[in-house]
Amino acid sequence: MTIENKGGANSFHQPDENFEPYEQHGKMPWPLIAIAIGLGLWGAATLFDTREDVATAQADRTAASQADTGLTTDPGSALFAARCSTCHQPDGMGVRGAIPPLAGSPFVAQGPELVATILMRGIDGPIRVNDHIFNGHMPSFASALTDIEIGALSTHVAQRFGGSSEAYPTTAVAALRAAISDSGSFKGGQDISTITGLDFGNQPAGKAQVAHSLTPEVSALIFTGRGEQWACASCHGDLGQGKENTPRLAGLSADYIVKQLDDFANGRRLNESMRVVVATLSDSEKRQVADYYAGLRVPSTARPELGGDLARGEALALRGDWSRNVPACFSCHGPSGFGVSPEFPPLAAQQAAYTASQLAAWAGGHRNNSSLDLMGRISRQLDDADRRAVADYLASLPPVPAGEAEQIARTGVRP
Amino acid sequence: MTEPKEAPEAKPADINKGLLTRWWIHAAGAVLIAVAVGALAYESGFVPNRETVQSASQTTADGFFQPPSDDQIPNDEFGAAVRRGQAIFTNTSTNASQYVGNGLSCSNCHLGAGRQPFSAPMWAAWVQYPKYRSKNKQINTMEDRVKGCFSYSMNAQHSIKGGPPPAGDDIYRDLQTYMYWLATGAPTNEAIKGVGFGKVAKTELGYSPERGAEVFAANCAVCHGGDGQGQKDINGRYVFPPLWGENSYNWGAGMARIDTAAAFIKHNMPLSQPGRLTDQEAWDVAAYIDSFERPKDPRQKGKTIEETRKQYHEGDQIYYGQTVNGVLLGVGTPDPERPVGAGD
Repeated sequence: MTIENKGGANSFHQPDENFEPYEQHGKMPWPLIAIAIGLGLWGAATLFDTREDVATAQADRTAASQADTGLTTDPGSALFAARCSTCHQPDGMGVRGAIPPLAGSPFVAQGPELVATILMRGIDGPIRVNDHIFNGHMPSFASALTDIEIGALSTHVAQRFGGSSEAYPTTAVAALRAAISDSGSFKGGQDISTITGLDFGNQPAGKAQVAHSLTPEVSALIFTGRGEQWACASCHGDLGQGKENTPRLAGLSADYIVKQLDDFANGRRLNESMRVVVATLSDSEKRQVADYYAGLRVPSTARPELGGDLARGEALALRGDWSRNVPACFSCHGPSGFGVSPEFPPLAAQQAAYTASQLAAWAGGHRNNSSLDLMGRISRQLDDADRRAVADYLASLPPVPAGEAEQIARTGVRP
Repeated sequence: MTEPKEAPEAKPADINKGLLTRWWIHAAGAVLIAVAVGALAYESGFVPNRETVQSASQTTADGFFQPPSDDQIPNDEFGAAVRRGQAIFTNTSTNASQYVGNGLSCSNCHLGAGRQPFSAPMWAAWVQYPKYRSKNKQINTMEDRVKGCFSYSMNAQHSIKGGPPPAGDDIYRDLQTYMYWLATGAPTNEAIKGVGFGKVAKTELGYSPERGAEVFAANCAVCHGGDGQGQKDINGRYVFPPLWGENSYNWGAGMARIDTAAAFIKHNMPLSQPGRLTDQEAWDVAAYIDSFERPKDPRQKGKTIEETRKQYHEGDQIYYGQTVNGVLLGVGTPDPERPVGAGD
């Protein structure tokens, strides 16, 4: 009795030894709930967004592979518009005094095999088409187009402009590619006549290609390095083709290369590797290295690899985006991206990652060595997708024909 | 014996303590919600972006008329004529080869293939004709106007045919079809923003070729060359057009007038950086460019330069018939040995 009373009286003041302390659950503050909901919504939106991207990318890839495999309705016509029309024009009329017409050309009239041969070899010399002699500089498309594409393109060109009814099969292109191997470009109209045994009338003779003779010192600079300095070729490739973020040098104008080397040396263009490499080059060595790379006619190793929208890239390169004051790339860098020395380098066949990274560098203020800040202004108007699109498109183009580029580019007299 | 220290009195809870933190948490929550809702709205297309605005309206954000884009050219006979006209417009020396005596194309001055506002866009020109022009003191149809372009800007006197295309030529039809198509939906009989090259206000200093030489070297030479003769690519194709000399427009062209050139330059040059030059710089560099000799005015015929100046250039801001640096301008560059573009 007593014990019970005692215990009963004390139970309010002395917790039972079995008592477990606990805390009352506080309510979760509503802002935390709001944050959780907000993050949840955000996550959902991101998932939604990504799903769209994946669908778009799949559609793009399907379209691209269809173009590759010739499954579109008229692959030759589309290829012509994308690869030929900047020079030969959409109507195949060429440009007076500069680009031979395809329409009415006796070469095209020979049929798709000669068209395919010229496409794969390219031309580097004077050629007469009807009444006019052209200073022919046509790139080799061998490294830029597949057998299927060359088959479709040569068929389209020969049928549309040469009155041919023949279709040129992919197997024939493959055989032709093997036969041509690396025999180089035609040296002009006369060379085409001689090699094919066909008569194209009075064709001008091509000039012999001037081979650059490298001094042992400069050859060492390019291929083995000097002392602590590594060789140009160790990053830019044996033939200056470039790779990923390292630019292609083959076919760039010598004046442009020299200017960039000078800019690396004096800090107008920032790149630690290049600053170190250039530090001990004399002016003469810079010029010789530049001349060597300018004279190289090397197949393209660049490919669209950034997932850019090629149609958008083509539009930017050919027509620009005037709503943002972005002129066409080709309005300054030349109608086929072959460059205009010394301020406007060739863009064709440049490594996509390099082009995109330079555009980003200009936009972000890390590269500042273009005249009038032209490239800075333009790059800032392009968003990331545009930069990838245009870089990918340019990487899909055939490499610039080298040769007389330097001589012609230097004719502009400067006071 | 010391008194036991009193335990420090528990302070009453500060009711303001933590308020700031809570405020921040609230704010962060609100921002996150706003971002999430905003992102959802953007992704779902409720927020207008650049593309949707442009396709939804016939005018740009700046209030300029928006011509149709190339992929809207119809695939029929009309569309074929539009494409032919566009080909002539952008590649004039090839597609109107017989009538072009220099290295220019229509699109060298009418930028964006005739689309760019204040670059004498074709959509604005089309709805202005027929109109009276003091240049020849009569009502001009569009064909008359284009004929003038060939005569002066394209320097047809040095072409194979030696003059502009004859009246009714298909070149005029195709070019006009292209213009008509560019003006699809453009308002008529009202002022249209972006017409012509615009105007540049006169400056106190007037214009000076000497000052213009410096402007030219700093802003123009990189593209047009220090000698103003433009630059070509490896195939000999003009990438940047020549501004004076035998391959440029002749003394009868509108661009040979300093006020016209200044307006074009102010609104369009350097390419991609319109407005970079001040009004004064635009006037000066226009004066510099138009102070060099170029092909003669084809209207001179048997007349003297002074007679031609009085008849056709009186009151114009042009160096025609004036002596600059001791040289009488308007004599014209030498005639070519054979017509420009003739066969080899």
